Amino acid sequence: MSVVTPPPAGRQRPDGDGLELVVELVGAAPASCSYVEARWVGRRAQRVLVAGGSVQELSDAETAGVGVRVRVGDGWGFSATADLSPAGARGALERAIALAGAQPARPEPALAPVAPARGHWAGPCQRDPFAVSVEDKLALLLLAEEALRGDARVMRSEAECRAITTDKAFASSEGAACTQRLTECGGGIRAFAVNEHGLQVRSYPSAHGGSVAAAGFEHLLGLDLPAAAPRVADEAVALLGAPPCPAMTTTLVLGDEQLALQVHESIGHALELDRMLLDEAAYAGTSWVAPADLGRLRYGSETLEVTADATLPGALGTFGWDDEGVAARRLRLIERGRLVAALSDRRSAAELEGQESGGCARAEGFARQPIVRMTNVSIEPGEAGSLEDLIAATDHGVYMETNRSWSIDDRRLHFQFATEVGREIRGGRLGRLYRNPSYAGVTPAFWGSLDAICSRPAWRVWGLLNCGKGEPGQEMHVSHGAAPARFRDVQVGVARAA
Amino acid sequence: MLAVAERMLAELGAEGQVTVSRERSLTSRFARSRPTQATEIDQRVVEVLALVDGHTGLVTGTDLGGAGLGELARRARAIAAAGAARGPGAFPGLPTPSPPTEERAAPTAAPGPAGAASALAEAFAVAAQRGLEAFGTWTAGSVQTAIASSAGVRAYDVVNDAFMKVICRHRGGRTGFASGAAPSATELDPGGLCAQAAAKVKPEPPTQLEAGTYPVVMEPYAVASLLEFLGALAFNGLAHAEGRGALAGRLGSRVAAAAINLADSPRYPGTLARAFDAEGVPKAPLPLIQDGIAQRVVHDTRSAARAGTGAATTGHALAPGGHADGPIPTNLVLHGGGASDERELAADVRRGIYVTRLWYLNAVDEREVLLTGTSRDGTFLIEDGEVTRPLRDVRFTDSALRLLGATQALTAQPRLVCEGEFYGRRFATGVVCPGLRAEGFRVTGSTPAR
Repeated sequence: MSVVTPPPAGRQRPDGDGLELVVELVGAAPASCSYVEARWVGRRAQRVLVAGGSVQELSDAETAGVGVRVRVGDGWGFSATADLSPAGARGALERAIALAGAQPARPEPALAPVAPARGHWAGPCQRDPFAVSVEDKLALLLLAEEALRGDARVMRSEAECRAITTDKAFASSEGAACTQRLTECGGGIRAFAVNEHGLQVRSYPSAHGGSVAAAGFEHLLGLDLPAAAPRVADEAVALLGAPPCPAMTTTLVLGDEQLALQVHESIGHALELDRMLLDEAAYAGTSWVAPADLGRLRYGSETLEVTADATLPGALGTFGWDDEGVAARRLRLIERGRLVAALSDRRSAAELEGQESGGCARAEGFARQPIVRMTNVSIEPGEAGSLEDLIAATDHGVYMETNRSWSIDDRRLHFQFATEVGREIRGGRLGRLYRNPSYAGVTPAFWGSLDAICSRPAWRVWGLLNCGKGEPGQEMHVSHGAAPARFRDVQVGVARAA
Repeated sequence: MLAVAERMLAELGAEGQVTVSRERSLTSRFARSRPTQATEIDQRVVEVLALVDGHTGLVTGTDLGGAGLGELARRARAIAAAGAARGPGAFPGLPTPSPPTEERAAPTAAPGPAGAASALAEAFAVAAQRGLEAFGTWTAGSVQTAIASSAGVRAYDVVNDAFMKVICRHRGGRTGFASGAAPSATELDPGGLCAQAAAKVKPEPPTQLEAGTYPVVMEPYAVASLLEFLGALAFNGLAHAEGRGALAGRLGSRVAAAAINLADSPRYPGTLARAFDAEGVPKAPLPLIQDGIAQRVVHDTRSAARAGTGAATTGHALAPGGHADGPIPTNLVLHGGGASDERELAADVRRGIYVTRLWYLNAVDEREVLLTGTSRDGTFLIEDGEVTRPLRDVRFTDSALRLLGATQALTAQPRLVCEGEFYGRRFATGVVCPGLRAEGFRVTGSTPAR
């Protein structure tokens, strides 16, 4: 999957490729800059959405530009422009320098060291999603969406497809000069049903836009949306008549998609080193974890193993190098429930003496600077077999799957989630359907109650496209590997309790 | 910019709309009383909407050179035609021109780094005087937008905005918050905001509140967060037409206390004024809730067609051709009441909770506008009419509509609240609202120390 080849022929600016531009730009920086990096990013994103038997959105965005980050003294500045002429790029460099020079001076350590990135990397793509015609995409989506309709209580039915290619060129004053191409594709379906009891939603294969992977059109085809649609619609309607999830403390089994979001919110964000260092206090928040906890803190039960793996095939947080030119790597974050590492970039790692960057600097597009982001933070599989095995080994409780609502405090400690569907577990079998299921918890206690995770065959990688952080805001694409898991003594039915 | 849009429209050679925008902005972030990230952006974007037999194709690009424009036009026509190949579409047609609105503001000069640097230095100094550290963001921007359509629309607008927030933090972790927003950075008061934030940082350790229902006094920051969700879940004309909206079947009936008067008022004094929507339809004041009675929802061209029965766009399109998720109000104004300030609101509360701001809100049930989230950066206990001890942040799960129904009093002077969140392209919005007091705020948990 990681190959060193010449940069792709496509997506070049008219007067040369992006790598040439950023190398020239870095070379033009004056000696007053102790560090310079430039990123050229070209991105094409297409969305096709059908609803109610008609086309709702056909959009295609192609953007390109360059972002320059410089350090002058102890000040940092970043400037971005879509003007890719030599004069336009030089203008961005000059503005970044002016910005850095104007910052109120505060001492800051040198960046954590890194070997200069060189070469080219491309993610997997068997079938270029942009080589598939819009007509073919519409045919597939309309077929799936039609199969959601039929019951009058389904008030809205949707099917969508997304395709994204991103080309990057990066150069730095430390000698980095590399290019990358990432391809993402996927989609999903969703049915909204309404009656006097309220609104119910059912999605496939996951909520929030469906399943998107670092892959070509083959990923969307593999989801077989038309085949899943009748079940999805039936479940949305069935939820309307289901009893509400009771309020109680019980055993909770989470489906792998919901567990992926649970990992994202209560482990991934909490372990971002910039948050732990208070640098994100003004927006995303801080963390209940302190830098001094590294190597010491018990985060969860001994069943809990968590990694951050930027080399995971097919995942949205996989790349050749991060946006500071640090090579992709696999980190163990939590071993047998004990915290061992955090997610870091070169600036945050430098704050901890002797630390090297975790390779987690990522930026959305050319007009944003890199910040600490998740790559692919995954809970490793356990030994509980399949979901059916796990349910069979559970005497009573509630099973929940497919996220509907999520919220967590600014230290990533106290959370509340709701899912689309819940089912009673009784005597090792799935029982009646519950509508409006929800649960709440406190991060270390919740992960401390984890006592079983399904095995490798049940472990899947789930992509998220809407991870927000930073100012100006950045939406990052990340993935999480997860398998269904069981938690004891969890408060459920919290959203509706009197 | 309008000339570029017209040139592009000629290039399109078909029914459609061209939008050209330019963002110039500067954002300077700080933490631990030191600057952390400074971002300057100068970006032009063109959007080309082609319309073929009731189908739209929307293409966005940043290459405004001659060849780039031609390629965008070709691609827009192609994808609209791809939709049309399957039969007529539901898009009703582009809006026709309306009379021009008043003269628009000129774009502000590109925000310079010196202004940001002096704002940060001022905040750092005030925090240091109080033995605290300052965290926050200063940002200023100017977005020019020009629209030309084959239906004859020619529109140009400038939205200037500035925003600063300050969180003051004690070394023990307690925090206080204040923010300001205005059309110009010169109207921001960095030192004053920092002083307001510092005043929220109390020395005593916070108390943990049990789950239950409490009278609540909310500052405008918290009220604005609730209203933003209400705007999206209750007044979205597309969701309403599909029966998913919170006001489905409830227009014309009481949904809030009689003191609640909520409108979308794009030219209200102090708001971030906007002349037209993404389809070039002029903005106009629109009452949404009057004396507690739900009046109407908002529409773009697409949602109005879906609603039928004489519905028309109200100028709330979020994207050319309408956003797939529907329209929302972007200039909400909740009119004030009679209380002089939040302390007067608290005066009638025997035991309740004082909330500065809310965080990480999400919908639990869209039809009820049932939300969950936490308080943040300044949560206090109210005892015998006085704001007394700091509280640990609480989680609430409650309906924004229910809270408006249980509202007992409002402060007199609404203020502009802007979150300063700029994902994608800069689109400055804010809510103008007062503080409020309501009964029965449902607390479902409390954040532990660790």
